[in-house]
Order: sequence, then structure tokens, then C-alpha cells
Amino acid sequence: MSIQLTREEDPILTVENLQTSFFTDKETIRAVDDISYTIQRGETVGIVGESGSGKSVTARSIMGLVDSPGRVMGGSIRFREPTTVDRLARLFPKRTAEVDELREEHDLVELVERLLNGRHTASELAGEEYAGADAETLVRDGAVDMADLVEDGYAAELGIVNERTFVVRDGSEGYVEVTNAPTEGLRKLRGRGIAMIFQDPLTSLNPVYTIGNQIKEALRLHRGLTGKRATEEAVRLLEAVSIPDARRRIDEYPHQFSGGMRQRAVIAMALACEPELLICDEPTTALDVTIQAQILELLEEIQEERNLSIMFITHDMGVMAEIADRINVMYAGELVESAPARVLFDDPKHPYTQGLLESIPSRNVGGERLRTIEGDVPTPNEKPTYCRFAPRCPEAFDACDAVHPVNVDVSTGDANHTAACLLYPEDMAREDAVAYHQSRGGETAQAAPDEVNDDE
Amino acid sequence: MSRWSYFARRLVLAVPVLLFSMSIAFVILRMGPIDPVSAIVGTQNDPAYRQAVARSIGLIDAQGNPIPLWEQYFAFMRDLLTFDLGRSWVISRGTSVSELIASRAPRTIWLGFWSVLVALLVGIPLGFYAGLNPNTFSDYTASFGGIIWRAMPNFWLGIIISSLLVASAQLTGGAFNWADWIVETSGGGVTAPPLTDLTDPENLAIAIKQILPAALVLGSSSMGNEMRIGRTAVLETVNSNYVETARAKGLPERVIVWKHIFRNALIPLVPVITAEAFLLIGGSVVVEAIFAINGLGKLFFDAAIQGDLPLAGSLLYIFVLITLSINILQDFLYTIIDPRIGYD
Repeated sequence: MSIQLTREEDPILTVENLQTSFFTDKETIRAVDDISYTIQRGETVGIVGESGSGKSVTARSIMGLVDSPGRVMGGSIRFREPTTVDRLARLFPKRTAEVDELREEHDLVELVERLLNGRHTASELAGEEYAGADAETLVRDGAVDMADLVEDGYAAELGIVNERTFVVRDGSEGYVEVTNAPTEGLRKLRGRGIAMIFQDPLTSLNPVYTIGNQIKEALRLHRGLTGKRATEEAVRLLEAVSIPDARRRIDEYPHQFSGGMRQRAVIAMALACEPELLICDEPTTALDVTIQAQILELLEEIQEERNLSIMFITHDMGVMAEIADRINVMYAGELVESAPARVLFDDPKHPYTQGLLESIPSRNVGGERLRTIEGDVPTPNEKPTYCRFAPRCPEAFDACDAVHPVNVDVSTGDANHTAACLLYPEDMAREDAVAYHQSRGGETAQAAPDEVNDDE
Repeated sequence: MSRWSYFARRLVLAVPVLLFSMSIAFVILRMGPIDPVSAIVGTQNDPAYRQAVARSIGLIDAQGNPIPLWEQYFAFMRDLLTFDLGRSWVISRGTSVSELIASRAPRTIWLGFWSVLVALLVGIPLGFYAGLNPNTFSDYTASFGGIIWRAMPNFWLGIIISSLLVASAQLTGGAFNWADWIVETSGGGVTAPPLTDLTDPENLAIAIKQILPAALVLGSSSMGNEMRIGRTAVLETVNSNYVETARAKGLPERVIVWKHIFRNALIPLVPVITAEAFLLIGGSVVVEAIFAINGLGKLFFDAAIQGDLPLAGSLLYIFVLITLSINILQDFLYTIIDPRIGYD
């Protein structure tokens, strides 16, 4: 399927089939295993899941901060933000694809013909409805555009763009392909394009430098401010995150700040870079409830002011309800359910999400015991040919051990709601549903694992 | 509390420590197995002479009555605190102790200075390099080297190095001769450095060249220590959250290493460096003996075994003073490097 490159409602971040693995002597851990989601401009997307479900690794993959022995193995992370695209295109002209220029230099019909004569079919390029169509039809109908060729990697295959291209510019639009970016490119993207706030505010600031020093460092790096102007701006930022007496506080060291104030300072530091997307990795976990509420409120205010997109990671469903517009539920490296926040809380579909919601104490007031999900998150160390949640699932049936569920549409209204569970789609009989998952590419396990036979 | 009143307080607090350690030194010296009178008179057994000696060193008064120990203790303390170090009894009878120390100290200080410097300039950069490139071939080489340097005993390493250097011309077939390498030196280049007129570049070069083998041996274990602690400190800092935050900010790696990692990794190194600096000044007896450097270490050793109590006591007093000042210096460095260290 091809996606048009230029559209008003293009998400600021598109994650597609992202896969990040950690290679140890013993095994390969698929910490993030084939997940896809998007973040719109000004939207807060929550990622929720137990410890070890791959939430932080997802965030780190987006920042390009996955450390050895981890590696992003596949998929794409596209960051669509015009000023960032322009900035990086200027810095890395050799690794930038200018779609406009390509359109002028090459004949699209001829390129498509070359692809069709090669190993590709029309349905591959433009979808099922164009099966068997010739190059001219595809181009005339607008089913294939130069932008599609670049985006889907055909352009690199044809040799018209550099294989290491990571910036694609199409007029005023375009995107940065994070997974393809060189270290230096990632560094230019971090902070300014995508900023990140880490879990523990108490240790996120360097203890031997003043708060002001660390904020001014970001100001100098990303906005070229120095001296008095940097100090003024740093004071303004600290005031913006409601730190009282900012002018005096700016010369204090992190240990002179309380936990909540340190987290505010960390947020101020992230804002100093003027990011478009802010990734918050459990930013309130280490704080007490009152401070937590203040920080969430602060984030919401900042978001409104700057039309900031936020990716918010937490294991706390209560925090999620407070802040998220849309929630993605992760389990063992996979995305198992995705829905607008309200829909997810009112009508969770995946048994795992249901379990998570049931284990919130305040939602079960008066119950004898708090319901929990028995067991632990398994380590995802092999390609899934079954449902990873099955061993803990109260609704598991035989097929769960043999078929890997894919994300299917379970929306009831116009809300975009998906879940990866063999129980869905609900309107199908169970066998049909299982067959549906299988046909959609869900991996299937054979009767006995040692008799793997691809022909079946 | 301001920095200066903090140091005034530290100095005042050092006084009881000084008094206490000198009292212990007095007890140890007087309770030792050596009778100072016998040490001075040697084999002569003339009772009148013994009496005269005992009177002259203040053990008995003019009437031949023994002077009480507490009076001797007070005299001892008073003399030290007023820097009236007295005269040597045995080693160089009649010479003033200050003169003796002044003649020996420059070589020991020169040796100590260079061994601290060698340890600092080789050990710490190597350790930081290994910590920044963990589990690579160069890390293993550096770490293994650190263990080896740490493990080689001074007396062995000193002998090996000095014999290798003396025989360097024969061993390399004349390709390398330590004695005339860079500047011509006497005595095969492994003897006490002449410390006269160091403002002359050639004299300075000779002095440095001659001290380096001894400094390397004396500093070898500190070098290994500092390398290993430096490596651990860097590894710990590299994995800390603030380094990750700095990285997420988009800072270049150069700034992250030199600004954020370096200063934090120095904090655990400060006490190691200062503790070793003292060891190097006081514990150089073996190295001084091997490299024929007539320094304070050798002097103290001789004074202690020959019962030259004023000399041994004075040297102890000076060592205690050095230790106390290094300790205060260490605290001073701490307050500069780590703002979390308060002044109260």
C-alpha cells in the first residue's frame, strides 16, 4: 500500500514494523517486535504496559539511543517536521532525496516499467485493485507517484537515490527516516526535533554543574544563545515550568532542588531545545502523587501553548487516563491494543488490557481482593508463532498456542480501535476469526515444533 | 559557612591530631628496644662516658638523677612544635637535624613529585581511555597492564629496570644506550640525580632523566591503581542517567566526555591520588636503596634502626605534617570538584 507523502493530517511520527533486538550470548531478545503506530501533531500518545514490555526500548529506538548489544533490526521511524527536514537536508545534502528534482530528472513511467520488468508486480506497487496493470495506467491513475517510489525504497533499488538516504524532501514537506540516520544526523535530530525526559529526575541532572549551566548548554547548542541572552532565556524557561525565584535558583546545583523541582528543571531543559515531539519515559514514577499531578498539569499546559506532540510512557493506568489522547498497550514487545483513551477505558477489548484495568485499585472499590494478572511478562526471545499473552490469559483457547494474532479493527464507532487477539473480529465465528488472523499473516506454529514445514 | 572559615576550622581541628600522633611517636620511640646511650657509645664501656652521654642527651640531670619521663615528653613536644629539631645523636653526631633533612629532602621530593606525576599522567588517561572503550582489545590490554604494574613488587621491578638500563647498550647491540640517550649522564644513568641549578635546561633534563626509572618503579603500583579506579569511575559515569540526558539533548560526544563524564569520574580518584601521594613521599626506602638515591626514606630507616631518636622523631613529625596538609588539600579539592560537598 502506498501512502501519499503530502497530506495535511500527516502524523508527525510514523513508526512502522519497528523491530529492536538485544543480542546476548545466550539468546536474542526481541525487545520491540514489529510494532506500528503514529503520533499526530499536538496529540499525546500513551504507551502502557508492564515492566519489560518494551516501552522504553521503543522510545530509545526513536531517539537513536539504543546501546550495544541492542540494535534496531528493521522497520521505519519517520519524523515529519518541515523545519527539521530542512535543517537536516542542509546538513546532509548527499543523503537527501529531493522528490521534486527526481520528478524532473526521471520519467516516472519508465521507472515503473523497469520495476515491473524486474522482480516487482503491479499489485505490489499500487495495491490489489491494480493487479496486472501496466506502468502507464499506474502512473496515469496516480496510483504510483515518485514520492511512493522513494518512500518504499524502490528509488534506492533503481539507483536514482543514494542507498543511505535518510532525509526525503518533497516541496515543503518531507520526513526524516530515523532508522537510516547516521550518528551525526541523530545527534542533530535529538533535542531540537525530538526531546526526551527520563524516568528518574533525581539522577537526570549532572550533580556537578548548576541548573542554569545545563539549560544554557542546550540553548547554546540548539539556538545559538550565549551569555546574558542565554541566562535570560533560561530564567524564562524555569519560570515557565513554575519554579519560584528562578533568577536565584538558576545558579543552584541539582542537589539543592527537590524531586519535583528537578523534574521541572529537566522539562525546562527539554523545552530549551524547542522540540516538536517530547518523549516522556515514566516522568512521574519517582514522584509523589501531588507532585505527579502538578507535573502532568504542567505538561498539558506546555502542550497547549506550543502545539507539542507528546509520547508518554508509563505503567500507571491512572496517569494515562489523566494525560493521554490515545493509548497503545504493549505486551512482550508487541502492540496488543490501540484506541483513543476514553474508548480504551470504557470498552477494553484485549484480555490483557482488561486485566490491566481491573488491577487499578480505584476502579474496584469495595472488592474483596484486588484482581491481578497472574505470572510475569515472558522474555520475547523467538519469532512469535503463538499469542505471547496466552499463558496468562483467562480466555485462552487451543488456537492461541498455534496462531499468532495480528492487529484487527475492533472499533464500534468512528474511533480507530485495534486489538491483536484471536477473539476478534467479534462478528466472526471463532474458527473464521482464527483463519482470518492466519490469512492476515499471523505466523502459524506446526503441530510439533521440530517438524517445521513451510509448505503447509 | 564560607570556604575560608571552613579552612580555618580544618586547620584548628588538625592541631589535636598532630599532638596525638606526636605523643604516640614519643611513646613508640622511647619504648622501643633500643637504648639510646648504648647506641651512641657503641662498644665503649666506660661508665663515666656513658654518664656524660646520658646527661648530654637529657636523660639524667647534672646530679645524675634520671629526669622523669613526663618532663622529657614535654621537652620533646615543645622542641618539635617550635621547630627546634635538635642535633643528630648517631647517624651524623652533632650535625643539626634540620641541616640533615635539608640536604636529603630535595631528592626525595624530586622522586616523589615525578612518581606522582608519572602515575597521574599515565594511569588516569589510560584508565579513562579503557573506561570509554570497555571490552575492546585496547581496554583488555590497558586493564591487564594495570594489574601487572600493580602486582610487580618495587624491589623486584627496581632491580630489573636498573639492570636493563645499565646494560641497554649490550642488550640492543648498541642501538640504544640509556646512558647517552637524549643527554649524557654519568653512572650508567641510573643513580641519584644531581639537583644543582635546575634553571639550566641541560641540568634539568639530566635531573629528570635520572629520576624517571626510579619514579616509574615507585609510581608503578599507584599507576595501576589509578588506572583501574579511573576505568571503573568512567564506566559508572558513562552509564549514569545524566549522561543519557546529555546525549538526548543532542550534545556532541566530545562535550559529553570532557564536560559531563570527566569531572564526575575524577571525584572517586581524588582520595586515591592524595593517599598515594603520601605513600610515595614516605615509603621510598627500597627504591632509594636500589637507585642509590640518598633521600629521606633511607635516612628515616637508618635513624630508626640505629636509635637516632631526635632524627627519627623529627622525620616522623614532618611526615605527620605532610599527611595532615595533604588531607586538608584533599578536602579542598573535593569542595572544588563536587558542589555536593558542603562546608559544615
